[in-house]
Amino acid sequence: MKKNRFKIFLIVATVLLSLYFLFPTYKDYDFTRQLRSLAGADSLKFAEERENEIRDARFKRIKLGLDLQGGMRVVLEVDVLKLWDDLAKNKDDVFASIVEGVRNEARTSDKSLVELLERQFKERGIRLSRYYGNLRDSDADLLKRLDDESGTAVERAMQIVRNRVDQYGVSEPSIQKQGARRILVELPGVSKEAEVRQLLQGTALLEFKLLKDPEIALKVMDSVDKYLAGQGLSDSARADTLAAAKKDTSLLPLPEEQLKTEEQAAKEHPFFFIARPNQEGNGEVYVAEQDKEKVKRVLSNPDVRRLVPADFQFVWSAKPAFISEGKKYFTMYSIKREAELTGGVIVNARATIDPNFNTPIVTMEMNAEGSREWARITGANINKRIAIVLDSSVFSAPVVRSKIIGGNSQIEGMENIEEAKLLEIVLKAGALPAPVQIIEQRSVGPSLGEDSVRKGLVSSVVAFLTTVAFMIIYYRTGGTIADLALLFNILFILGVLAGFQATLTLPGIAGIILTIGMAVDANVLIYERIREEAVTGKTLRAAVDAGYSKAFSAIFDSNITTFFSGVILYQFGTGPVQGFALTLMIGIAASMFSAIVITRVIFEIMMERGAAAIHFG
Amino acid sequence: MRLFHQTNIDFMGKRRVWYFISLATLSVGLLAVFIKGVTLGIDFLGGTELVLEFQQPVGVGDVRSALEKIGFGQGEIKTFGSDRDILIRTPEQATGMTIADTIRSTLKNAFPDNAFEVLKEDKIGPRIGHELRQDAVYAIIASLFVIMIYIGFRFKFIYGFMGVVALFHDVLITFGMCSLFNGLSSYLNLEMTQSMVAAFLTIIGFSINDTVIVFDRIRENLKIYRSDDLTTIMNRSINQTLSRTIITNGTVFMVLLVLFFFGGEVNRGFAFAFLIGTIIGTYSSIYVASALVLDWTIRKARKPSLSVQDTHLTP
Repeated sequence: MKKNRFKIFLIVATVLLSLYFLFPTYKDYDFTRQLRSLAGADSLKFAEERENEIRDARFKRIKLGLDLQGGMRVVLEVDVLKLWDDLAKNKDDVFASIVEGVRNEARTSDKSLVELLERQFKERGIRLSRYYGNLRDSDADLLKRLDDESGTAVERAMQIVRNRVDQYGVSEPSIQKQGARRILVELPGVSKEAEVRQLLQGTALLEFKLLKDPEIALKVMDSVDKYLAGQGLSDSARADTLAAAKKDTSLLPLPEEQLKTEEQAAKEHPFFFIARPNQEGNGEVYVAEQDKEKVKRVLSNPDVRRLVPADFQFVWSAKPAFISEGKKYFTMYSIKREAELTGGVIVNARATIDPNFNTPIVTMEMNAEGSREWARITGANINKRIAIVLDSSVFSAPVVRSKIIGGNSQIEGMENIEEAKLLEIVLKAGALPAPVQIIEQRSVGPSLGEDSVRKGLVSSVVAFLTTVAFMIIYYRTGGTIADLALLFNILFILGVLAGFQATLTLPGIAGIILTIGMAVDANVLIYERIREEAVTGKTLRAAVDAGYSKAFSAIFDSNITTFFSGVILYQFGTGPVQGFALTLMIGIAASMFSAIVITRVIFEIMMERGAAAIHFG
Repeated sequence: MRLFHQTNIDFMGKRRVWYFISLATLSVGLLAVFIKGVTLGIDFLGGTELVLEFQQPVGVGDVRSALEKIGFGQGEIKTFGSDRDILIRTPEQATGMTIADTIRSTLKNAFPDNAFEVLKEDKIGPRIGHELRQDAVYAIIASLFVIMIYIGFRFKFIYGFMGVVALFHDVLITFGMCSLFNGLSSYLNLEMTQSMVAAFLTIIGFSINDTVIVFDRIRENLKIYRSDDLTTIMNRSINQTLSRTIITNGTVFMVLLVLFFFGGEVNRGFAFAFLIGTIIGTYSSIYVASALVLDWTIRKARKPSLSVQDTHLTP
């Protein structure tokens, strides 16, 4: 028993760890079941009471791939050629034929677009400065500049896509850069093809909009607040705010008269209770992330809309303003509906560090027409604030310090250089669109997903039972112990999947099923060896020892080679294939542990307890 | 229970016959590839693929004639699993990504009282298809290379090399069989898709797994029976591992049968390729990998010294 103490500890620790990782998955399943059994208002109440728990469980559970839960997977590619075409000046037929030539070649060539462009220019004996930069610039410089432009365009496109997906309200979206100029977007549970295509491909709209006077903004919101508190409060809106009041004990300072009891405050000021006005009275209100939907719902109520002037628009900050007690608070701005200026006039934007104060700033340049307008707008609105709005999200709302003539503006007040960089990207999105094309789109309907999950479960169970039955019949006691190890093995695989927050796909399930078949291989090797050794007249202990040690090299070498092909599969594969490779690799590692360590410990304990014979069939 | 008692089969003695059978199977498969060709799925081809589930059974011919009006009649249209599910595939991609929209609206008009639901919709650009094809080939070559290095390092170079030759044999035969059986029944779709490539790579992994176990026993027996010739040692090793080979591969085979019948349409092609791969992989460990190592060793020993005796290998 003593010499196995460490191994037993290891096994128990691994089992506990797996269970710990799997607990959120179980909870998520349990919540879903309970929510389904409750109807209408009850389920809403249940969901609100346990909002954080549910969200936490959902975040930590084993994720299902798009092929299992349904949804869309879209690969976007930034159309670099279109971008270069937009950047060029004095375009003529020759330029058009160059672009066409590059586009045709790119279909079959592995060379980079910059190389292809260079060759097209060389073949025609033209310098790049004919269309880009000025005469002094060398071809190499211009090519590098074009290459850089395409790099930043990808970043811009990602920002635009992320911003829109966030607004669209998909749960657990995934937006990743793939290679140099591709963006992979995964939207679980979304099946509205055309809408999503529009969402991802439409041109970004950057606008400068004036903020409403703080006093007027607060007055309008106050009337909304009074209205909600009064008779006309609709039931659903009341339920929303009351539910929020019950659980929301955030320590955000409340205006004097609201510092009564939480419940009373929520009753008297239902709107301001969830949308907290800024202390300086600048007209901004802060809303916790989970209350955003409620505020939106209240504001879209037709009765409430009648209270809000027509030129009023409520928009949200793109990023949370601050985080308090683990909750993200977003800013809601009241702005003038009509834009003062659109982003098309921006020529350039750059994030730098102000050498005088050592603070991050963003400089912005406008074209002649834009500069004239900008001078008029800034001149008329000194000390007022102008919001920089991209696709209806506010990225910054700087105060106008003075009339800006000449179109060169400077924006200050960013927390750090990253924030400044983000603003640069946003401003450039207005200057230069980042044209994207959908090059791959896969969508799985929810019913096919459910069907796949069901078939996956059925085949896993059948495969498991067949294997288990066979092992018991063929190896008796040994087989039973191997089956026990197999059970642990499946637990480990699922635990590791949950722990790494990996995604389970349909081929992933196939990987698990195969592992079931494979996992017993190690035990078969060992048992066959033990039988061989027992035939030569060895004692039980000697036969078991020899069986394990002699079978080890075969088990190790064969598993390692299979593991290698798993690694390669993971490297070269995409999406579902990677899911398969991942479960295969985890399965090999887990099966070596359970088939060698766990079964061995069980035999050792049995022999120590005085088992004279263990049946290996 | 015990299915195999100590066997004593002369495996290596009949290896020439099996070389012939291997070559014959390989030729049949490759002939099928050349004559029938290989159907590439849209993963590799690029194009648009839709799977629709109608409320009532629908005829493939009706769908085709409806789509002919908009010029997609030449595309592939077939039932997918049940007679309510229709798969439509067209390599067309000229007008961007809107082909699926056109198909859907056309069918909505053509079957006004038989509504359908989109089960699956894939659109793949031509460039992606090209890249995926390339990646698949790279993946297979890379894994063969890594395996050869590892086995060569753990055993002897010739073992690694012949092991990989056996893998080529397995992959080519499976590939040929997939081409041969593709399209024989609407129940079985064996187009080359990404998950088929995954199947091939896993066949590689499993087949080498099996080969390594035989090699491992040979390595061990070479140390124990120093005076025996390689033919005897190989026969003994294969006989000793035979029980394990059949039990393990039998279990995997059973599991794959389960996957084939219950795993759903998407996993069926995968399971089929794998079933073939398991059989071939088990066989090739004996009659390709081991037998070729034996023949190479005999030939090498004969050449310089003109001695008829087999050499002994000690790794």
